[in-house]
Formats: sequence, structure tokens, C-alpha cells
Amino acid sequence: MAYEALDFYDIDSLLTDEERMIRDVVRDWVEERILPNIEDACREGVFPDEWRADIGEMGILGAPLKGYGCPGLSYTAYGLICQELERGDSGVRSFASVQGSLVMYPIWDFGSEEQKEKYLPGMASGELVGCFGLTEPDYGSNPGDMITKAEDKGDYFLLNGAKMWITNGTIADLAVVWAKLDGVIRGFIVEKGDEGFTAPEMKGKHSLKASITSELVFQDCKIPKDRILPDVKGLRGPFSCLNNARFGISWGAVGAAQSCFNSAKEYALSRIQFGHPIASFQLVQNKLSWMLREITKGQLLAYHLGKKKDDGTWIPEQISLAKMNNVDMALEIARMSRDIHGANGILDEYPVMRHMANLESVKTYEGTHDIHNLILGRHITGIQSFTREP
Amino acid sequence: MDITIISEVSNDSLHPVTAQMVGAASSIGGPVSVICPGGFGSVEAAKIAGVSRVISVEGDCFDSYDSMAWSGAIEPFIEGDLVLTSSSTLGRELSSAIAAKKGFPVVQDITSLNDGISVTRSIFSGKAIEELEVSVPCALSIRANAFQPADVGGEAEISTVNVSQQVSVAVKEALAKAGERLDVAEADIVISGGRGMGNPSNFSHLYELADEIGAAVGASRAAVDTWEEIPHSMQVGQTGKTVTPNLYIAVGISGAIQHLAGMRSSKYILAINKDPEAPIFGIADYGIVATWEESIPALKEHLSAIMSD
Amino acid sequence: MGVAVLLKQVPDTTAKISVLGTRVDESAIAKWSISPYDEYALESAIALKESGVDELVAITCGPQRASKCLTEAASVGADRLIHILTDADFMDSCTLQSILSSAIQRSGCDIVLCGKQAADTNSGSTGPGVASLLGYSCVGSVTEISMDGGKISATRLGNTGLEKIEVGGPCVFTFDKGEVELRRPNVRGIMMAKKKPIESIGIEELGIEIGSPKTSLKSHFSPPEKPPGQKFEGAGSIEIVVSKLRDEANVI
Repeated sequence: MAYEALDFYDIDSLLTDEERMIRDVVRDWVEERILPNIEDACREGVFPDEWRADIGEMGILGAPLKGYGCPGLSYTAYGLICQELERGDSGVRSFASVQGSLVMYPIWDFGSEEQKEKYLPGMASGELVGCFGLTEPDYGSNPGDMITKAEDKGDYFLLNGAKMWITNGTIADLAVVWAKLDGVIRGFIVEKGDEGFTAPEMKGKHSLKASITSELVFQDCKIPKDRILPDVKGLRGPFSCLNNARFGISWGAVGAAQSCFNSAKEYALSRIQFGHPIASFQLVQNKLSWMLREITKGQLLAYHLGKKKDDGTWIPEQISLAKMNNVDMALEIARMSRDIHGANGILDEYPVMRHMANLESVKTYEGTHDIHNLILGRHITGIQSFTREP
Repeated sequence: MDITIISEVSNDSLHPVTAQMVGAASSIGGPVSVICPGGFGSVEAAKIAGVSRVISVEGDCFDSYDSMAWSGAIEPFIEGDLVLTSSSTLGRELSSAIAAKKGFPVVQDITSLNDGISVTRSIFSGKAIEELEVSVPCALSIRANAFQPADVGGEAEISTVNVSQQVSVAVKEALAKAGERLDVAEADIVISGGRGMGNPSNFSHLYELADEIGAAVGASRAAVDTWEEIPHSMQVGQTGKTVTPNLYIAVGISGAIQHLAGMRSSKYILAINKDPEAPIFGIADYGIVATWEESIPALKEHLSAIMSD
Repeated sequence: MGVAVLLKQVPDTTAKISVLGTRVDESAIAKWSISPYDEYALESAIALKESGVDELVAITCGPQRASKCLTEAASVGADRLIHILTDADFMDSCTLQSILSSAIQRSGCDIVLCGKQAADTNSGSTGPGVASLLGYSCVGSVTEISMDGGKISATRLGNTGLEKIEVGGPCVFTFDKGEVELRRPNVRGIMMAKKKPIESIGIEELGIEIGSPKTSLKSHFSPPEKPPGQKFEGAGSIEIVVSKLRDEANVI
């Protein structure tokens, strides 16, 4: 059966020809290269290097960035790329999100001319892989109190500390690491091979298994002075990166939900019990109908947000809404889809439980569900309720 | 009207479709000439009832295949208002080239023919059928086994003509037929084995049958999971490959839902299983309750007999 | 020296084909694509271009939506795009072949690549018909092609198996599925394709004589319902089943 992505309110008609073509290129690649191999990659816990190469060749990394070999596409196109990658697997989309929004973006926006020339073209082509070091073992939702420290030693910086839950870490050629220099959060580019830097892989994950998750460990790590990102100070730096990634995730979650919906619908139409396909039972139709509603709402949120990103009229809270809503509905849809598949839903014969497990991570990273909730609460009331401080 | 048939040859003898073309021509009526490119099969063609004459067109240009040269060589001898060929690749190329030279319309691979001239043919790989009206003079290619053959018993006169025609396609080398097995996702016929095969080594019987009839071999998830020797690349089903062959032969496969998902869009399904209650019989067009041990040799015998024609 | 590739837009092979009234329902077709065998022709055309051909011209004949084929061809390397615009829902072989031959002459190309048959009509008349009209040579069922100093070598699937052939001078090559991997357009190609203009021409502008149609479409209909499944006991029934496969099902 051919894949028909649910598009009940015909978002497709709002896209430009180029956006559709780009979406289709990624969709076809996912069909040909990801779907036949993703279950094996998950079982083995690997992210095959060929995928990195293919993604680079497609020219979709750093989608909305202009210049330095970057694609210069609309945010809608970026969203569509994330949607199609995540329909395949959230881990695959995570690779692209980190590379584009969390590493290429800060270099592009806050880096020196030399840094842009040095890193961006290689990252756009996929030859260089990057990772983003913000989260620490004891500082997740509270990055502001991070303890990774940078000291100015005259002709180099000395980095000490550790980062955790870092996608791409072990395979990365470079890391954009946020650390406090004299108490102020600054961005530093650390390269694989810099003295005192290691990136061991974190094993034993039940989620995002086809993605590399690592720790970044800095023990008297020496980096040259020209590696500091000159144009940004404080949390504004990492947060602007996260906003871009979160935008992509709001589309990506739609892709995962579409995949789960499709699988549930096809299964319900073919599974016969009591002499009838289970798609003929009211409780099953109720679930499918709910999924259709939520996917359609999520698509419209994501699409309109893309337009606002393109014309510059967006605010971060709008991104929080979309990320939070779409991931939440996608996780519910994955669970409901698993339920419709019955026992078969626990096999990797079907993608649903893999999406379900992945979305648990997606719900937590890039700002947990609850944090985004409070971001909206603060926006509505003007009162922050993240901490107990006045 | 005058009808010209271009004969089709296979393995050095006249292909049965030639007699079928003569049979088809009888629904239109009129004298039938048969042209034999390179002279192959002319003696047999003359024996088909209803053939008025056979023209054996001979020359060096027929030593190897060049569609433009062959059509150029035979076209002057075609006087009919209706030109028929088989719908093999060769037949289609000749009919297209001849039709273009003569300014005739050409319609390929027809499955019915009536006065008018009205024809039907399948489109979208058989998902729909189209009915066309073709003005005369025209060229048509006929699908094999769609028309009743004319009987044996004719005594047509064979005239031989020699032609010399420029050949522009030079055959440099015949390459050994690719030893590679066909891919399940692309073959016209797929034979899949399930856990009912008993033992992975028994798949060799399926391979032999497949090689004989030009099919690909697949397997159910149960077979792939149970036996290391059956690789995942052969798996037909939800996470394996989805296949849409003309004919899917399921041997020793019970028909669990995950497998069905991979092959239910096959045009025709033949299931062989010793358990009469196996779910696969629910979607099979032809179901045979028998063991694979008895069935495979019989299938091999009867399928190769029909398909080698 | 230029190479022309003929592309036909057809419903995607995964599209749902259903008959509404007396015609296949086009509104039910969610996706239109380049006919699969034509994709192999296009891939080979690009490969030829990479080995020294000056110009790759992509040609299509069809309604407005068919221009998408040309944009896709441009995104993987086609230089010049010619669209013969027509809304005709059916064309006889004479008309179509005249139109395409004229377009090929307009392109100035001596080498023409196309699929061996289109996925909608499943006919295969166009390649040899166009070659015949133009007086070009024709090689069918090609799986591989290469060029060395003006002479073209190709592998074709003959009756007895694969053969390597050589041909000089103007020629039409019709393509079967080959061993080659079809390249994907990348973003750069897609964005550059936007800038390549499409020469859109109406049939009247070609200046050819089109006579009255010699074939007309009376109707489309769905294939007859398959009869319900038949079950047989024992391996002795195999002979009967096999002849049913031939006579009833027509699959062998």
C-alpha cells in the first residue's frame, strides 16, 4: 500500500512547487533507505554513516540558513523536511535538527566570519557532524545554573565540566558548548581531538535507539581563543538555537503521528475479528477520528507558525505552544495506534511502538512539556512559576 | 479486407500466437497472408487453416535483430489493410515501425477484436480496460492466449523473396544471462515459502521451480525468524517487502495478517497448504489443500510445460 | 551534440485507478509522476551528458500539470525544457508520434532516449514509431548506454538474453529497467530548476499537419470482478489449476 500522508485540510495546496518537491525528495529517501532498515538499526542501536552521507547529499541540513553553502529555504520547507524525516524515525530527525538548528545556526548567527567559513560549508554537506552541549547531568530544565566552566588562560581557554544527553556527540567533529566564563554563559566551539575532550556514548536507551546519544566530558580541555562565539552572551544564545529546533520538532511530531495513524488505519481495515474488520467497530472509529482531528490541528499550527517564522512576526511562546501540543498529541496517537494494533503492535513489524518510545524523549527534550506549559502560563499572566523565588 | 500477419517465432519454431492471430483475423474476414521475417517458421505457417499465402522474406539483415531494418525489409510486402503482430516486444516494435512508415494508427496488446474495428486492451497494468475504435487501414498487436487459434490443415503457397537491407545496429557480444535471482519486489511471479516448508534446505525446491519459470522467491516472517538461512531480504510482509506480482504462489504459509499485508495486492494468488483451515485460503484465488512435497513437482511439471511455449 | 529525452507524465504507479462513468477518474489521482521506464531513460541521459554531450533537452507532451516532469528533469540536470501543451485526453499513435518527432527536430538532437512503454497505456509504440518517422535507427529494451567518441554502445535485452550493441548516427533508444540507480534531485538542483525556463508550445505552433483522429476512445471500464476463490483437494488438481492460471487468470 502506498503511503498517503494524512492531510485532511489540504495543507498541500498551500505549499509552493519547490516545497512540495523538497518534501517528496525526503519522503522518497525515507521510503527507500530508512523504512527498510530502521528496525535493524534500532535493534543494534546504531545510526548508519550512510544516512549521514545521504542527508548531506540531499542538501537539507541547515535548511533556513542563507549563505556559506547553506540551502536558504523557507521555514515551511524546513518544517516539511523534519516532518518527513520523523515519519521515518525521530532519531533520524534529531540528527538533522541538532546539525542544522543547534550547531549550524549558532555559528551562522553568533560566529565570526572565519568560524562561518570554516565550519558551515562542511556541515551543510554532511562531511562535518556537530553536536550541542548545553544540558548537564544536574542541569536540564535549569540551564542557567550550569557548572561547566571556561577560564581565560591568556592564549587559550580551559574548559571543565560535563554535558549529558548530547545527540551526535560521539560521532561529532565539533561541539558548540555553552559554559560560564566569569559567570556569564558563552558559546565555545570544541573540536574532536582537542586535548582533554572525550565524548563517550550513552548505552541502554529504550528510546531514540537509532540515534547516537553521548556525554561530553571536559577535563582541563584546552581550546584556542578563536573558538569562542563572539556575538552572544547569556541564555539568549542557547535559547535561540532551541527555538529553531523546537520549530522543526513541531512539524516532525506531525510526521510521526501521520505514520502511526496510517499504520492504525490500514491495520484496522485488514484485521478481522468476529467476522468483521475492526475498522467497523465504533470504539476503533472513535480513536481514528480523534487522531485525524489532532493531526489536522497540529498541521495547521505548524504551518501557520512556519509562515510567521518566514515573515519574522513570531514570538518564542508561539513555538512553545506548537512543540508542546504537537508532541503531546503525537505521543497519544502512538499509544492509541499501538492499542488498535493489539498484540501485533508490540512487534517491530509495525512502527508504532518505536515511535511511541521515541516520542517519550521528544516530549522531554528541547524543553519538557511542563516547561513549555509554564512558558505559556508566564505569557498569559506575566508571573513566572518555574521557581520558588519571588 | 486483406489481412497481413507477421509471424512470431520462438526457439526456432512457430510460436502458437501465430495461429491465434489467424484465428483472430477470422472475426474480421478476408484473405490472410502471413509474412515470415527471415523465413523462420514459414512451413508451419503454411499449414494453418485460413492462411491464403505465406511470404518468406529472407536476407542477411535477419541474422541479428534491428527493428528498423526488419520493418524496412518487410514493409514493401505488406498489402493488407489490417496488419497483425504478436504483442511481444519484437511484435510491438515491428508493428509500430511499420505503422509509422505506412501512416497507419497502431494499437498494442489487444484482447478482443470486432468488426468496426473495435478493440479492447488493458491499461494501467490491468487496473482498467479501454475500448477503442480504430479506423482502417491499421496495425494491431495481439496478446497471446487471448484468441482461439485457427486449426491445422491449411496448404498455403510459400513464396520466397530476398531482400538486402541496411542494418545499423551491430551486435558486438552476447552477454551471459545474469545469474542473479530476480527481486521479489519486481518479478511478475513470486513463489514464497513459509514455516510449512519444514526445513530451510527445502527452499531449494522453490528455487528450482522459480528458475524454471522465471520467478522470484520470497519467504514469510515466520520462516525468516525461525531459520537463519532464510535472510530478511526475502521476507514478504509488513516489514519485509510489499509485492504486487501477477501471480503469487504461497507454499506452506498460513496467512497471518502481517504476511497478507505484503502480498494482498497481487493480481492472482495461488495458495498451497496441507491445512484446509489455513487463513490464506480466505484470500487465495486458487487454493490447493496438499503437501508441498507433492505439489512442487507437479507445479514444476505443468507450469514449465505451459510456459515454455 | 545534444540528447533529447522524452518524458511522459502518468498517474503514480501507487495511485488508485478507478473508473467513473466511462473514464478513469482523474480527480481521484493523488499523485502524478514521470513514467517509470522514462526515469531510466532520464538517468541514462544525464549520465551521457556527464560524458561529454553538450545539451540535454527534456520533452513532454501533455496538459499544464505535465510541466512538473520537466521541472523534475531540470532538477537533475536537463538544460532545455520543451512542453508541447495539449488538453487532449486521448491521442492516436500517428498524432502523438508526429508531434514528438517535430519537437525532436526542433530540439536539434540526434540521440533520443525514452522509456520502452508508458505506465498508463502500456503500449510501447512511441519509440519505434518516432524513429521510423525521423528515419533514425532504433534500439529497444536498453538497460545500459555509454558513449565513446561519437559512437554509442548499449546493452539491450534481446530474445536470447543481454547483448552489447553499437550504433552510429541518429538513433532512438527505448529503455527497460536497468541496473543503474536513479539519482535523487537534491535541494540545490530543485532550486536551480526554478530558474530554467520551459518552452511551452501549442500543437498548432509546430507547423505540422494533423489529420483527423484515426483511433478514438470509446470508453474505459473496470476489469471484470475476479470470481470467488476456488479450493481444490490434493496435488492431483494442480494440472487443472495451472490451466486455469493460463485460461481464466491469464497470468501465464
